[in-house]
Amino acid sequence: MTDATSSFWGRHEFLIRRLHSLTGLIPVGAYMVVHLVTNASVLDGPGKFQAAVYQIHTLGAVLPLVEWVFIFLPIIFHGVIGLFITAEMLPNNASYGYTSNFRYTMQRVTGLIAFAFIAYHVFHMHGWFHAEWWHENVSGRLGGANFRPYNAASSAALALQSPIALLIYVVGVLACVYHLANGLWSMGVTWGLWTTPNAMRRALTGCAAFGILLAVVSMGSLYGMYTVKIDEARETEARMMEARLRDGLITQEEVNIKSAPADNHTNAAADDAAESTKF
Amino acid sequence: MADHAPHSATPESFEVRILRQDGPGQPSYWERHRVNYEPDMNVISVLQKIAARPVTADGKKVTPVAWDCNCLEEVCGACTMVVNGRVRQSCSAIVDRLLEEQPDGIELQPMTKFPVIRDLMVDRSRLFRALTKIQGWVGVDGYYDLGPGPKQSQAAQELRYPLSECMSCGCCLDACPQYGKIELEQREGESEADFERRKSAAYDRSFIGAHAISQVVYFNADPIGKMTAANRLDALTAEGGIQVCGNAQNCVAVCPKSIPLTTSIARAGRAATIHRIKRFFDR
Repeated sequence: MTDATSSFWGRHEFLIRRLHSLTGLIPVGAYMVVHLVTNASVLDGPGKFQAAVYQIHTLGAVLPLVEWVFIFLPIIFHGVIGLFITAEMLPNNASYGYTSNFRYTMQRVTGLIAFAFIAYHVFHMHGWFHAEWWHENVSGRLGGANFRPYNAASSAALALQSPIALLIYVVGVLACVYHLANGLWSMGVTWGLWTTPNAMRRALTGCAAFGILLAVVSMGSLYGMYTVKIDEARETEARMMEARLRDGLITQEEVNIKSAPADNHTNAAADDAAESTKF
Repeated sequence: MADHAPHSATPESFEVRILRQDGPGQPSYWERHRVNYEPDMNVISVLQKIAARPVTADGKKVTPVAWDCNCLEEVCGACTMVVNGRVRQSCSAIVDRLLEEQPDGIELQPMTKFPVIRDLMVDRSRLFRALTKIQGWVGVDGYYDLGPGPKQSQAAQELRYPLSECMSCGCCLDACPQYGKIELEQREGESEADFERRKSAAYDRSFIGAHAISQVVYFNADPIGKMTAANRLDALTAEGGIQVCGNAQNCVAVCPKSIPLTTSIARAGRAATIHRIKRFFDR
C-alpha cells in the first residue's frame, strides 16, 4: 500500500528482505565457505596456510576495497537487517513443536550468536580498524588485533590458546555454519526454488549434508589452528617472508606492519624479520 | 449397541479450563468447569453443556461462556480456537481424542492473534481485509454478457482445487511466528468509519499471512483471474507482503484442510520476485 504514512522500510520492504536473503548466500555465505576452506589448509602445515594468505595479500592496496565491497558491507547489511527481522519474531515452539518451527527459531538464535561472534572475531583478529592510534589505545589494549598476515598461522594459533577464546570460536563458528546451511534451505523456499513438500525434503537433506561437511571443515581448521607448533611455524613463516623480501614481492614496510612483534615465541630468523616492527 | 468408548478408564467427568475475557481490552482470567462425560462429545457440545449450567468447578454461578460456531462440520471456520495449546476447530475437536492427548482435562483459549470480543469469540476481520488487499476474486461481472469463460486444463484444476478448500479459519495465522496480534481501540470522538479506516491501514501494513498468499496463487491460476495477476502480485509485495514469511512452516502443519500452503508460498515467492524484476526493468 502506498499511503503517505508508510515508512522507508515499508515502501522498500520487499527489496530489503530479498536483498537480505540474497546477501546471505552471495557474497556472505560464499565468502564464509572460502574463508573456512582457506583456514583448513593449516592442517597441511602452517606454510600452506601462509601461502594462501600471501595469495590474498597480492591484491595489495586494492584489498581493503575488495574487503569492504564484498565482505564488510554485505555482512553489516545482512546482520543489521537480520536484527530487525529477529526483533519481530514471536516464537511459539512450546505450542507448535514441529522441527521446521524449531529450525525457524534456531535460525534467529544462531543469527544473533553469529552477529556477536563476527564482531568479536574481527576485533580479536584485526581490531576492527587498522589505524595506528586505534591499535595503540584501544584494540591492542583490549586483547584485539592478534592476527599478523605474514605470521598467519603462528599469530592465529597464539590468539586461540586461551580456552575461552577457543570456546567462543567453536560455538560461534558452528552457529555460523548452521545459519548458512539452514538459511540456504529457507532461501530456496523464499525464492521458489523448491516448492513441493517432497522437493523441500530433498533440499533439506542436501542442505544438512552441506552443513555437516562445512562443520567438519570448520572444526578441522580450528583444530589445525589450535595445534600449530608455534616455534616451527615462526621458522617457516620467517623463511617465506625472507624469500619474498628477497624477490621483491613484499617490502620491508609491509613486513613491519604485517608480521608479529618479537616475543618469547620467536627464534633468530623471526627476530630478523620482525626486528624493526613497531606497534 | 455400538461401543464407542474404547477405554474402560473413561472418566465420569472431566475438567475444562477456559481463558475468559469479559470484553475487548479487558483482562483475561482462567475459569475451571467440571463436565460430565458422555460418549462422542466434541468441544462444542462441552461448551453447550457449560452454557446450560454455567457453574464453575468451585460451585460459583457465572455468565455462560461465549463462543462462535456455525456449520459444525469443519467447513466454516467460525468455531476456531486454541484447544489444548493448539489452534483448531472446536467442532472437530473430539473429547475422547483430547483426553487421550491430555488426560487431566481440556484447555480452551481464544485465538491468540486476533482481538477478543468476549471469551472465546474473536474478531477475525483482519483476515478478510487481507483477502480484499490481494483482490481475492475473479472479475466476471460486467454490463453485458461476457460469454462462457475459458476452459481450464485438468492440471490447473488439480492445482487449484485444494487451494479452493480454504475456509479462512485463521489457523495458519494463529500458529505463525511472524504474524503478530493487532488490536486497536476506538479513540475518543473517532467516528466508526474513521476507526475502520485506521484499522484497515494498520492491517495492510502488517503481515498478510499464509491464507492470503495461497489465495493469490489460487486466483492467479484462474484463466480470468490471471488477467489481474499483476495487481495481486503488487499487493503481495507491498508492505507486510510475502517477504515477511520466515519459513517456519507451522501454517501447513496446522491447516485443517491440509492445503499445501508452503507450496503456495514458494510458488508465490517465485512469481513475486519475477514480477518485481519485470516491473523494475519495464518502467
